[in-house]
Amino acid sequence: MLFYDHLNVTGDGQVSRRGFLASSAAAGLGLTGLLKTQAEELKKRGLSVILLFMNGAPSQFETFDPKPGTSTGGETKAIQTAVPGIEIAEFWPKTAEQMKEIALIRSLTGREGNHQRAQYLMHTAYAPSGSVKYPSFGSVIAKELGDSQFDLPHYVSIGGRPAAGAGFLGQQYAPYAVADPNRMPLNSELPRGLTPEVLKRRLALIGKLEQEFAEAGGEALVADHRALNEAAARMATSPHLKAFDLSQEKASVREAYGRTPLGQGCLLARRLVEVGVTFVQVSHGNWDTHTNNYEGHKRLSAVVDPGLASLIRELKERGRLDKTLVIWMGEFGRTPRINGQAGRDHYPRAFNAALAGGGIKGGQVIGATNATGTDVSKRPVTVPDLFCTIYEALGIHPRRQNQGNGRPIRLVEGGSAVKELFA
Amino acid sequence: MRFAVVLLAGLVVLTPARSEEDKKSRLPQAPEAKGVPIVPPAWKSAPKKLASPAEIDALLLASQKADQLPTAPLASDDLFLRRLTLDLTGKLPTARELSAFLSDSDPNKRAKAIDKLLRSDEFARYQARRWRDILLSKSTNNQGFVRFPREQALEVWLTEAFQNNKSWAAIATELITSDGMLSTAAPREQGHAALLLAHAQQDGPVERTNDISRVFLGINISCAQCHDHPDDIWKRQQFHEMAAFLGKLGERVRLDRESTPPKFEVSLQTRPFGDYRMPDLENPRRGTPVTPRFLLDGSTLSRFSSDKDRRKALATKITDKNNYYFAAAFANRVWGQLLGQAFVDVEGMGPLNPPVYGEVLLRLADSFRVSDYDIRGLYRLILNTQAYQRATRMGEAPTDHVRFSGSYPNRLSADALYAALAQVIGTPAGPGMGGRYGGGFGGGFSGRFGLASLAGQIRDLFAYDLSSKPEDVEGSVPQALLLMNNPQINAQIRATGNTPLAKILREHPDNTKAIEAVYLHTLGRKPTAHETKVSLEHLASLRNRGAAFEDLMWALINSAEFRTRR
Repeated sequence: MLFYDHLNVTGDGQVSRRGFLASSAAAGLGLTGLLKTQAEELKKRGLSVILLFMNGAPSQFETFDPKPGTSTGGETKAIQTAVPGIEIAEFWPKTAEQMKEIALIRSLTGREGNHQRAQYLMHTAYAPSGSVKYPSFGSVIAKELGDSQFDLPHYVSIGGRPAAGAGFLGQQYAPYAVADPNRMPLNSELPRGLTPEVLKRRLALIGKLEQEFAEAGGEALVADHRALNEAAARMATSPHLKAFDLSQEKASVREAYGRTPLGQGCLLARRLVEVGVTFVQVSHGNWDTHTNNYEGHKRLSAVVDPGLASLIRELKERGRLDKTLVIWMGEFGRTPRINGQAGRDHYPRAFNAALAGGGIKGGQVIGATNATGTDVSKRPVTVPDLFCTIYEALGIHPRRQNQGNGRPIRLVEGGSAVKELFA
Repeated sequence: MRFAVVLLAGLVVLTPARSEEDKKSRLPQAPEAKGVPIVPPAWKSAPKKLASPAEIDALLLASQKADQLPTAPLASDDLFLRRLTLDLTGKLPTARELSAFLSDSDPNKRAKAIDKLLRSDEFARYQARRWRDILLSKSTNNQGFVRFPREQALEVWLTEAFQNNKSWAAIATELITSDGMLSTAAPREQGHAALLLAHAQQDGPVERTNDISRVFLGINISCAQCHDHPDDIWKRQQFHEMAAFLGKLGERVRLDRESTPPKFEVSLQTRPFGDYRMPDLENPRRGTPVTPRFLLDGSTLSRFSSDKDRRKALATKITDKNNYYFAAAFANRVWGQLLGQAFVDVEGMGPLNPPVYGEVLLRLADSFRVSDYDIRGLYRLILNTQAYQRATRMGEAPTDHVRFSGSYPNRLSADALYAALAQVIGTPAGPGMGGRYGGGFGGGFSGRFGLASLAGQIRDLFAYDLSSKPEDVEGSVPQALLLMNNPQINAQIRATGNTPLAKILREHPDNTKAIEAVYLHTLGRKPTAHETKVSLEHLASLRNRGAAFEDLMWALINSAEFRTRR
């Protein structure tokens, strides 16, 4: 059930007044009171998100919208999935087994066909701008759902820094970058010789030494700095830190995800959400297959398929899938036409994404493309629609505003959630 | 502004469907411009003479006295030299430089040190890296093949400009009127094209207008792109009239697959057809042509003029000696860099945002124009004031403006922090750091993040927008983790082996002397009596000289002061 399903948000960002007023009156709360209660309630629910972002733009034909036997389908065959009637590309056999949990969106449509701009758009719901540093939706969700007492970062990014950071939301919600999931993050552990006792002694020494600088006009600076040092020390000595240590997993589990940075990144993502990290992003690619698209997708999918499938399966087995929204997507799709070098070029007009968990009703397909995949033929889903869906699935109002560069900025401008996706 | 926020929030949540009329009136309206002087009236009657440091101090002190604002005493010689060296070269003074300065009995030694550093190559290089980052901070076209030559070429070009003390007007003119090209095959050439090539295609005219306004006029008119500026007098129409000066400028990308490796070139070009149009609010694909009109004096240029003529006219209007904003924006920025706080937000100037002690800014700007925009001259003027040389001062809240009653502390730039750290742990710093995207060509996703090197990690975690207000620059937990846990740093501060600390301990068997040496080495200043006492107590409590000094060195690297210029 949606958290605020009494609010009926229209495509224009209007809220249906009747339902809203009735429910808030019933609760005996004013508007501010209601929103505040919601915000606090939300944080208690322990929801999390895992985003698998495919940099370079994967082809819909070679992932979840194959068109075998047509002029545009290429060599790629379709395979059956666990859900009768839903077929996906042959490169995704393990994901096919998890189809009961997965909802596919085959009708995503946009206009942005430049990698850098589209990646930014697919992280922030906004086109890049020189004057406003929009936050990534990972940072927004970290802010809305993260427990402020938690001693690890709210937003962890594995395998590269995302196309957008915390923007105007501030450092507290910035992605914490983990370059290699097989090793502890850089500088996260106390180095040799620096025991927790020595660390404590040294922090106390800083406090005494800085007293004078604090009194000589630097008080605010010293206090701010001390808080950061303490937070860093809490993280470096936190029992949660071992969530980053994949050597604690059985070899068979590690194998199931695939011994690749992406596969191990998916496993790390599962471990991190289990200890309370709100948003984990695992980046992969380059999917930009302008040449030899078929071979490229065969190779790339072989890496992602076991990672994505094992992630969904394990989250389900361990009872965490209902509280974890898993998103698979890239920045746009690839052309129906196969070019002279057996590649596919950029195509934002029709592309796809996959969602699972977090209250998403699996085993269904939203929208469709026409027979040759040149256009969306049913239930188009725009980028703002997708972001409204993600936020609403988590109980976050997509019209919420943050102060950015001196003016209020909505999480999403326009669009409306794909309600069919919600269980 | 606050009013507008509340109003918008209210409408969004509570109002049912609105008419088109409502939609229009929902947009912010600029405050009434009638009767608001765009330029301070005193600008016209300014003395048009070079100012002396004493004159600036007298002007400032008179205002501070009127406000009953007590000023901080002058900073000690060691703090002064640390501040000066960090500000001008992005490095800490070496222990040798510091002791030579402290033992010099010449009453003019501060002025001498200022002159020496201003003439140094390191000054030109450090300011070039700063300005590279300021000019490119809002870039929207960041494809690898553009940003790779862009950052290098701009840094090279600016370094040469600062080495030759090229005037600020000449720098501005060349950046605005460039018809250059950036090429991956010649990544260190034609840096003058970099500012305009920070943007491309549909973003070009508007984002270039934003950049040129914020950098050369200190005015942020980006709000007025879509609606009137809510906090200042600029109307939407005025924004697009400014953008029209850049409306015929485009760019061309060429990929030469024949050369090895393949060569990318992006060059500034006149758009072959079409005029700049102000987009229609309801249907952005439609638009109305606008006449180029300069924001500040309303002077216009024919709609039928060429791209070259438009940009030449824009550069002439911007660098005109009657243009208060050109001179004041630069003076304000340099003053802010050196004093810690500026008279007014460095990119937030405008008729309705008056500076703190505007008469001082006006006099600095006046002197700057009379000097023909002599950059080193402006630095020399400010650095020799007592205002620059005072001890640290902050208000009760970190956001308080201390009105130049003392030196307001700032975070070190990533560049300066790395240089300081490299010096402290005894690793050569090299020629300075790359830009925000320093990963290099082809780095793409992995190159930017293969941050094994300490320099790369520091750049990644500590870089901030040099145009932001000092109080808006935040620290972060990953920053603290790096200085706290980094294995390389921790190995290099051991008391044994061949580390700088081990050398200090061998050289100074006396603990008080050794403490002084550690302070000079790490913070570039002597310890105070209190700091010496605390350090000696720590030594006594631990009864392990090596361990206690490792604690001290670590504590200083992890102190607030280490990442601060004060």
